[in-house]
Amino acid sequence: MLPNRSRLSVLVFLLPPLLLYGVAVLFPIMQSLFLSFFSWNGISDMEFVGLANYVRMLTGDDIFWRSFLNALGYLAICLVLQLGGALFVASLLTSLRRGAELIKTLYLLPAVISTVAIAFLFVRIYSIEPVGLLNQLLHWIGFGGLEKAWLSDVNTVLAAVSAPEGWRFTGLYMLIIYAALLAVPKELEEAARLDGASRWQLFTKIRFPYIRPVWITTTIMATTYGLRGFDIPYLMTNGGPGQSSELLTTYMYKTAFTSTDFGYASTISVFIVIECLVAVGLILLMLKRKADA
Amino acid sequence: MTAPAAPIARTVTTPPSDSGRPPLRRRRKPSVHRALSRALIAIIVIVQVYPLAWLFLTSLRDEHDFATGDPFALPKSLTWENYARAFETGDLGRNILNSFIVTMGANILIVLLGMMAAYAIQVLGFRLSRLVRGLFLIGIIVPVQIALVPLFIDYSTVNLLDTYQSMIIPLAGFSLPMSVYLFSSFFEYIPRETYEAASLDGAGPYRIFGLITLPLSVNTVVTVVLVNSIFIWNDFIFANTFVLSEELKTIPLGLQNYIGAMGKVDWTATFAAVCITITPLLLVFLVLNKAMIQGLESGATKG
Repeated sequence: MLPNRSRLSVLVFLLPPLLLYGVAVLFPIMQSLFLSFFSWNGISDMEFVGLANYVRMLTGDDIFWRSFLNALGYLAICLVLQLGGALFVASLLTSLRRGAELIKTLYLLPAVISTVAIAFLFVRIYSIEPVGLLNQLLHWIGFGGLEKAWLSDVNTVLAAVSAPEGWRFTGLYMLIIYAALLAVPKELEEAARLDGASRWQLFTKIRFPYIRPVWITTTIMATTYGLRGFDIPYLMTNGGPGQSSELLTTYMYKTAFTSTDFGYASTISVFIVIECLVAVGLILLMLKRKADA
Repeated sequence: MTAPAAPIARTVTTPPSDSGRPPLRRRRKPSVHRALSRALIAIIVIVQVYPLAWLFLTSLRDEHDFATGDPFALPKSLTWENYARAFETGDLGRNILNSFIVTMGANILIVLLGMMAAYAIQVLGFRLSRLVRGLFLIGIIVPVQIALVPLFIDYSTVNLLDTYQSMIIPLAGFSLPMSVYLFSSFFEYIPRETYEAASLDGAGPYRIFGLITLPLSVNTVVTVVLVNSIFIWNDFIFANTFVLSEELKTIPLGLQNYIGAMGKVDWTATFAAVCITITPLLLVFLVLNKAMIQGLESGATKG
């Protein structure tokens, strides 16, 4: 604490940021919570309906549950590609003596590009007429039978809209994990190697425990970003065909701005927030406990 | 926090690497493994980069070549015609200008307010500072979609729909927590004695902020701006929700005009437009990639 600061000076520095944060983040959260107990289309009078929206969501809305399961599938694919891919590539990179900087830059490139551009790009990659990159590749390696319009097939569309999101951010997580892996003391690895540890043992017994705090952070980041995924599915398929690539976020968006059912949309967004908080809690619980054991 | 120790540890255990040469023992042993991991890295880098290269190549193809040719083949002839059509179809210059205005506006707020909050929390200190820090954590965990409906309603009551501010406010608000955390972890490293000396010389909290904290924070400012610019420049959801008029559309919205404007999509022109719009940020990224990479790393580990 500064010796001669006044109460006023603290307020001068603190109030403007809190004002913006309150207007943009905190107040809207409260408002959503409030709206979720109402039925309102934005024009007529608001009508208090108590828990009716929640009851409708949890017991009477098949699309909601479908979107919830889809969102979990989307999350799973993103996590595997982002965290699994990142850990794998970061581990490979540590064995490299030169060029790591260049590879980091190249690997991060997709993260700089807007989701709209990525959606365009992947629509073409998946396309069948004219033949896109993916179908052409399958044809060449002899899996021509698998060629299909990936975005119109109800069985593949969810994976097809999840993969671009995974692809986009894997570089970001790779950077973070790579930096953590470099910080593992080389004496420890050297000593374990002299004791005859295999590469796998080296990884599970030395490296991974050492980077666990960073791993927890990246898992939380990837999970919360995965649960808020919206742009790419919305732009590529708008949830279709049918509801087969509908996520909670896209469903919420359509409920709010296509059906203008603000009350029910708020209920869904409150659910999304709770889902994020529960996910973060679970991650901390699982990964922290393992660290203590 | 452990990162600064890394270079020291490395030079201690493998001194020969200083001369650019790995220790002999290591170089001989795992050559198969090494070759394999190099090949894997190469494949993965291709998967990451090839689609972008393909995007650029496609933007140079003529339409007939695109519709009939093998997508992996190099273009038969290069044409800039798609770029001309891209500029005719949309208002790319205006979109880029709008994105620039929104990114600048949000960044100014994020840097200034983030620095002020961090200064109050970390340097001035007050009783509830832990609570305020915790409050900022909410903005990192909570998904941005929660703010869409309430802000839409609030904006329509105060007539802010369809303005630059309608995009800048939520973009700045949701980026503020990361900025506060980055600045406060930097302020921790400014030695207390600096402040105490300035205080003894009679400087109050405002002068100390202006004369000590602000000038010392330049590097952190660069980090904060770079990291946030990626997300703000590319924002789709707030712009799509709050902006309707053509004159205010940012790049992501402008790009959408290429679909549907003609019923069917003019793909080669669209790809040309995509190439034009990703260029500014891509250039910044390639020029400043060291700073940006460092920023992204520290953003995660300190947040």
